[in-house]
Amino acid sequence: MYNSFYRKVGFGIGINDKIPADPLKWATDQLDKIPELLWTGWIPSEKEMRIKYGEWIYGDRKVLRKKYKNDKNAYRKAKDKLSIQTGERFFELNEHAIRHYQTKYSNQPVFERFWLFWGNHFAISEKDSLADFSTGPYQREIIRPNMIKTFEDMVQEVTRSWCMIHHLDNSESVGPNSKRGIESRDTINENHARELLELHTVSPEAGYTQDDVINLAYIMTGWGHKWNNKVLETGDVWFDQDKHQKGEKIVLGKKYKNEGKRELSKVIHDLSNHPQCIKFVSTKLCRHFITDNPTKDMVDPVIKAWTNSNGNLIKIHKAVIQQAYKNNNFTYKFQLPEVWIMQLSRIFDLNLPISSKKMNYEFKFEPSNRQEQLTWYLNEVGHSPYRPKQPNGWSDYEVDWISPELLLRRLWFASNEIPNHVKIENYSHSFMFLCLERNFDDYERMTSMIEDLKINKITKNDLEKIYGIICNLPWVLKA
Amino acid sequence: MGIKSMNCTRRNFLIGGSTTLFLTGFLSKQSFGNIKKNNLVIISLRGGMDGLTAVPVLGDKRLKKLRRELILEETLKLNSDFALHPKLEIFHQLWKENKAAFVHATNIPYTGRSHFDGQNLMETGGHVPYKEKTGWLGRGLLSSNIIGEGLAISLPMPLLLRGVPQNNNFFPSPDYVKTKLIDYIYDEFREDHNALIRSTFDTIKKRPISMQIATDSNDRNKLAKEAAKQLKDSNGPRVAVFELDGFDTHAAQGGVDGAHADELEEVNNIVEILHRNLGEVFNDTLIVTLTEFGRTIKQNGGYGTEHGYGSAILMAGGLLKKAQVYTDWPGLKKRELFEGRDLNSTIDARAVYNSAMAVCFNKDPEFLKREVFWGDNLPDLTNELFKV
Repeated sequence: MYNSFYRKVGFGIGINDKIPADPLKWATDQLDKIPELLWTGWIPSEKEMRIKYGEWIYGDRKVLRKKYKNDKNAYRKAKDKLSIQTGERFFELNEHAIRHYQTKYSNQPVFERFWLFWGNHFAISEKDSLADFSTGPYQREIIRPNMIKTFEDMVQEVTRSWCMIHHLDNSESVGPNSKRGIESRDTINENHARELLELHTVSPEAGYTQDDVINLAYIMTGWGHKWNNKVLETGDVWFDQDKHQKGEKIVLGKKYKNEGKRELSKVIHDLSNHPQCIKFVSTKLCRHFITDNPTKDMVDPVIKAWTNSNGNLIKIHKAVIQQAYKNNNFTYKFQLPEVWIMQLSRIFDLNLPISSKKMNYEFKFEPSNRQEQLTWYLNEVGHSPYRPKQPNGWSDYEVDWISPELLLRRLWFASNEIPNHVKIENYSHSFMFLCLERNFDDYERMTSMIEDLKINKITKNDLEKIYGIICNLPWVLKA
Repeated sequence: MGIKSMNCTRRNFLIGGSTTLFLTGFLSKQSFGNIKKNNLVIISLRGGMDGLTAVPVLGDKRLKKLRRELILEETLKLNSDFALHPKLEIFHQLWKENKAAFVHATNIPYTGRSHFDGQNLMETGGHVPYKEKTGWLGRGLLSSNIIGEGLAISLPMPLLLRGVPQNNNFFPSPDYVKTKLIDYIYDEFREDHNALIRSTFDTIKKRPISMQIATDSNDRNKLAKEAAKQLKDSNGPRVAVFELDGFDTHAAQGGVDGAHADELEEVNNIVEILHRNLGEVFNDTLIVTLTEFGRTIKQNGGYGTEHGYGSAILMAGGLLKKAQVYTDWPGLKKRELFEGRDLNSTIDARAVYNSAMAVCFNKDPEFLKREVFWGDNLPDLTNELFKV
């Protein structure tokens, strides 16, 4: 009865995966170290991508907008050309391929599931050109390496990352009593401070007030990108003392004395280890993996693992897995569209994503249809991972994922598109039955449903019906 | 299969499923007996619609000076003070029949100039970005006990409509989906924990054939036509939400034929299609626009405009009281502008929406104000704007 566990915390058992003797051990053994990225194509660095980002916005804002200010059509054409030259249309496609390659082939799929979780917990929402250039590298370079450290380590690094700072406008935040504030009469932008409290750490249940938000924003003043005329807002993150609010600050009843850039580390330390933060994030982990409405019995062991280990993420992850295992047979978690696609790709060995060779890009022409395909699918099923609409990321609640059109898109993907990705050698009942048996406790029901279709020899046309039905059964949509 | 349509589709992906509806129960569709169905259509204009381009004020020398390259060479005259952008032709035609009106110098009470916070607030109707998890329209429907009568013309359920269960949406996939496949799997969703999926399948199966066979959500005219068809049906939805974006014209905003004009043309298009296809039902319909903020008075170096504050609400439909530009005009002199740069907002846009809901849902505006907008100080505008 533990077949669904492989999807609850992973992506199912691929045709080339070994069936684990001990599912719990299989899962918990995957969390101690960071798996290598398997993608053999180009994996650009965050810094490299930021330079590209700079070229794109400089070219658009400083050159094209001026040059074509009287001619919207010429402006659009020139902007299109610039987008091809800077790779603006390409990089996200490449990032999706890197991500899906990992979830399809990694020997540590459970680790990869947690990677998706943290990337969404510290979400970068669709804003400016972040998804086009920076969100993917942020997931790889900021989120991933911190997954074997402590929660606090992750918050410290995320909060100072260029991507999050740009996303939540902290560069625009100026302490009103700072040197710059007095000169320019600029003031704080509370955005980042509010989200650090609300979304990243303690949540509104901690009962913080507007004064707490303002004081935290004061502490955060000065952290921003180093702006100049050429790179605009894509400069490295630094601490600008001239923008920093002077004086003592109080957040959630605790005083932080005036010590410039050191204030932020201290407040993050306190927020990350706050009991309300531990409870909030532990609950969210259980909700993501186990059930929309996790019980106290599920969450408490995670909280305990957290407090006993001072927020060691390896320990926390293992505690979540243990609860997922323990509750596996009576919890039903609706799988988000992207994860569902990842699972289907791994389970049925689909030709998805494409190979790194086919992902080669010359900066001369638009990306090809094949290169765009995966990204297009993710869009069409309503779950483009690096483009959540708000800073709270994609929802973990099934109610947000069940609308008539969103369910129809699942049917569409399974019946209209999967057949294009089934390898010809896998057009057989025996292959299908083998995949089902390895992954679903209800596989006998599934095989009989396929047999009821009375197909003699499977052709591509038949795949439409077979996959359309199989992939949308309740125990496939859920795990 | 239209892979090339991806970029276009991406434009339409406007709100994500990132907030939560805490309603898990299912209420059966309410019956309204013989109460006449009034339709409310909301068109979200994302990016910041420029009220001064859509409904320009006449004869303001200062505006002409500050917007040298953005001034409209020709306009459709409304009255002695205001005109219309020439692309808003259907509004002009309806104006003559007392079926178009405008609220000017209005906005939601948000001055932060961030699209993201602003769009969140225009949908939740709240004061603090991301604090509310439901939309004002969803709360309005729920408190009016109108369940299962919302139709979103988008893939995810817009935040605006959240807060009430069983909404339908229409945003067809790139190819025809064989909904017959549902018959093979439907019985497998018997268990309680699958009730939501099951009831959503029910909604799908009950969809009229025209919705079932539709494909291609890139064709906006087709979407609007279908919406009109559904709204016209006396058993169909009575609320529809459209999404448009691209109003964020920092460059080449232009005048009669610029980037902002293109977007206004799309609004015009939706209203034109609704008008043409609703027929008589247009008289029982109210269409209103929604945006996060207006734009700066002064043009920028790229002949565009920056994020501002006050904007305008475009309205059409037979439920309007009369053709009018309803405004408490703040003026465009430097000291009259918000922070010396933006058209001020003298009317809380939420008062317009609250009154619109009151008329369409047949509810007391005071009641709705309490249920939907926390009893905020929103004047009742039903007598001024709508047929009561």
